[in-house]
Amino acid sequence: MRVRTSNSIHNAATKYRYLMLFTLPALIFYVVFAVYPLFATFVISLFQTTNGDGSFIGLDNYVYLFTDPTQSGHFWHALLNNLEFFAIHLIVQLPIGLLLAALITSDAVRRLTGFYRTILFIPATLSVVIVGFIWRMIISPLWGIIGFPLLGTEATALPTLSLMSIWQWIGIPMIFLYTALIAIPKDILEAARVDGASGMRTFWAIKFPLITPQFGLITILTFIWTMNGFDLIYSLMGGAPGPNYSTDILGTFFFRTFFGFNNVVGDTDYGAAVATVIFLFILISTAGYFFVLQRRLKPHEL
Amino acid sequence: MKSRIAPVAITVAAVMMALAGCSGGSGDSGGGSDQVTLQFESWRPEDAAIWNSKIIPVFEKDNPGIKVQFAPTKATEYDAALKTRLQGGTAGDLITCRSGALNRENIEAGFIEPLKGFTGLSNFDDLSLSYWASTNGDPYCVPVASVMAAFFYNKDIFTELNLSVPKTNAEYMSVLQAIKSNGKYVPLAFGATPGDAWVLAYMGLYSEGPNYWHGEEGRQGLIDGSKKFTDPEFVQALAALKSWTPFMPDGRASVTYSDATQLFALGKAAIFPSGSWDISAVTGSTGLDVGVFAPPLPKAGDQLYVQSHPDMGIGINAASQHKKEAQVFLNWVASPAFQTIYANALPGFFGMGKEPAKLDNPLAQAWADLKVGAELTPRVEDILSGGNPDFETTIENSLQLMMTTDKSPEAVADETQKGLENWYKPQMK
Repeated sequence: MRVRTSNSIHNAATKYRYLMLFTLPALIFYVVFAVYPLFATFVISLFQTTNGDGSFIGLDNYVYLFTDPTQSGHFWHALLNNLEFFAIHLIVQLPIGLLLAALITSDAVRRLTGFYRTILFIPATLSVVIVGFIWRMIISPLWGIIGFPLLGTEATALPTLSLMSIWQWIGIPMIFLYTALIAIPKDILEAARVDGASGMRTFWAIKFPLITPQFGLITILTFIWTMNGFDLIYSLMGGAPGPNYSTDILGTFFFRTFFGFNNVVGDTDYGAAVATVIFLFILISTAGYFFVLQRRLKPHEL
Repeated sequence: MKSRIAPVAITVAAVMMALAGCSGGSGDSGGGSDQVTLQFESWRPEDAAIWNSKIIPVFEKDNPGIKVQFAPTKATEYDAALKTRLQGGTAGDLITCRSGALNRENIEAGFIEPLKGFTGLSNFDDLSLSYWASTNGDPYCVPVASVMAAFFYNKDIFTELNLSVPKTNAEYMSVLQAIKSNGKYVPLAFGATPGDAWVLAYMGLYSEGPNYWHGEEGRQGLIDGSKKFTDPEFVQALAALKSWTPFMPDGRASVTYSDATQLFALGKAAIFPSGSWDISAVTGSTGLDVGVFAPPLPKAGDQLYVQSHPDMGIGINAASQHKKEAQVFLNWVASPAFQTIYANALPGFFGMGKEPAKLDNPLAQAWADLKVGAELTPRVEDILSGGNPDFETTIENSLQLMMTTDKSPEAVADETQKGLENWYKPQMK
């Protein structure tokens, strides 16, 4: 029997037409709601508006951001704080997430897996404002359990906020690692047990190597989340997050410039420049990460 | 576990909410053909019940053709949201105006209808009108309310510890020391957490400071450049504020404004440096016996200065379709009749008309009595704010550090002055 080579599905041109057709809805959505606003933000940042009239000023907003001592000081300070915010998240969240994922997949809590999984994920579904409010009450020197003003002291304010955020979002890395762990084929684990491997040994020698690619993913997602962070800090510390700007991150710095704070009226054009710089920073770091590291984290072939 | 409906339901819900959000923003909806509904922008959602039940009905009864809809936005979002709505042409007909710099931005952008020659304005003196005037002095909003700052005290605690109300700073310090030595109560309900650092400025420095820098003399001096923040009177005011620190609650660096309010309202603290707007908050729920005293004088016999800050004015949206009706409303707002209703409905917000309103609330009356024999002065920041770096943001940051660490008053004065010299022309060297 002769195979029809002109079958429409196998025709290359038609195939691409179908591909286009199927990706088009997502593409349109992405362009309209993600690409266009980013581009428009960049265009706005090249203007200066006075009394409703915009005039083109080239890169002056960027020059102002990087040369004005007050503005550039706040920007670099916010960037460093943001990196610290990210580092604390990563250092604390990964091991705890791994531990929790390992525990809820272990045989010891087999019958309560669903219960623990839900309990640990619940904080992620709460409003950030509620989480912030509850934690501020818990650590309040007046009504809470700790006499030391954690949020009011320069050295401890940012780590405290980071830990609150970690408490809320710990469910996310846990779920990532949990799904990776339950995706490991049972026969491999059974083989290990037959060979006499202990639980510990099975975990470190078999499960752990198989889930390492997840760490890369969690790291980069945590990076993007923390670099875009804003809500918790704004709700607890306001728009000029103290003490002495020690909890000011890129999101709050952007808010101050774009929307204004206290008696400062927001500057949309300059704010757009700040937003563009933040976007480029996240874009370049993320791209760099993917090129340098993520490609080396190859999943093990099973 | 798998639900096919959930994603669909979430999408539908999200779309519905987006649609609801769009439809909610469209201007006035107008009742009938002869009825005009005025949208009234405000930053005080907490006052909605009072406007809707006590104030607006009085107006609507006398003016049957006009309805007023109170449409408030949260205070912290008001300025940005209003600006967006003014630019987009969807703002209400009546606009509640902040005093000073923020309002001047809107005036310069042409968003607010000028009120030059408006008859109702004759009920106000020039100083009151000036807070909502353009840079060349033309009025744009009708003054509605001012708020004051001073010190609440718990009368029962003062009786129990046999204390008398302090007049001078020395007396104030010895009263605080006596409460602290007794140990039963927190002397000062006053917090210094970074998120509420405005408390340190509004109810701390700008409340006790005018007695040192002589109110308007010092404030105008800063504005016209003849005085510097590093001058001795300002440093003394900062030092006086710093001397409060031993009497603040433990862990003051994390004590918020609402913590302090509760501490006082629960009867656990003796003195609460605050503003007249807190009258209901400290007496409302607990029935505490509360009195008020003026900021302590540096020396006995000095002139007393009290902070009275223009808080709220009302103007007309220049793009409104119903300017005539809006003017009718404003004329009523400018009348003594409105001011009496308003000041009694919201104890602690004082009318600004020449003719003082009679107050039913005895504590509000006690606040109003502080003005007798005192010179009034608004908060310092007004014209000095809005630059780079912002005066108010800078001083709040410095004050928070001064009240929680060993930062000196001189260092705060230095930083503040440097910030001003960076952008404020009259202060530049």
